[in-house]
Amino acid sequence: MPRINNRIRRLRFDHNEMTQEELANKAGCTRQTIIALEQGKYVPSIELAFKIARALGARLEDVFQYEV
Amino acid sequence: MAPLQKRAWWGLITGTVFTIAFVLVFFLMGGIDKFDQDATFRIIVDVLVIGGLVANLIMVNIPLKKAGMVDERDKVIADRAPRVQWLAVVFTLVAWVIGLNEAYQKTDLIPGVFLYVMFMSVLIISTTAQCLGIIIGYWRMDRNAQD
Repeated sequence: MPRINNRIRRLRFDHNEMTQEELANKAGCTRQTIIALEQGKYVPSIELAFKIARALGARLEDVFQYEV
Repeated sequence: MAPLQKRAWWGLITGTVFTIAFVLVFFLMGGIDKFDQDATFRIIVDVLVIGGLVANLIMVNIPLKKAGMVDERDKVIADRAPRVQWLAVVFTLVAWVIGLNEAYQKTDLIPGVFLYVMFMSVLIISTTAQCLGIIIGYWRMDRNAQD
């Protein structure tokens, strides 16, 4: 079954140990959504994915990976 | 817990309390016959129902429109809640139809006041079920994580 993985947790720590709250504020979502994303419990919209990637200073494909 | 999830729990609790209050007041004050004849009784029930609906509006629906309070994930969950609402309303109507049919089958005459009570009960159930739908939505999203 295809799935979308992400490296949000890793990139947060690489990015001056950014907190979930800080990332949520920068990406315009709630901290609970960042938690759900990191735990693989939610797949974001394209718009939110771009916002998260931008907040982490990374490219979209560096943050999210699509595995078939 | 997400802000909307917290508010849905509060909405469910207040909705349940108002439903119990509604049922208790209704039966303790004399039931359907008294309700049909006594204007004060009707006003008390009206105040309870409208109070419950306003409380639900403040708890759940207004935060949905506040910026920063909910995000796309919360909106996805909130948008799915009407499925639970719809089911709850259908089951309530089915219960009413079967109950009234069984109670008044011999007389073949259902008092018109039941229309009013049915409508009020469906309103209460619908708003409470919206909160339940949101809570179930969060639970399902947590449970159905990508394997």
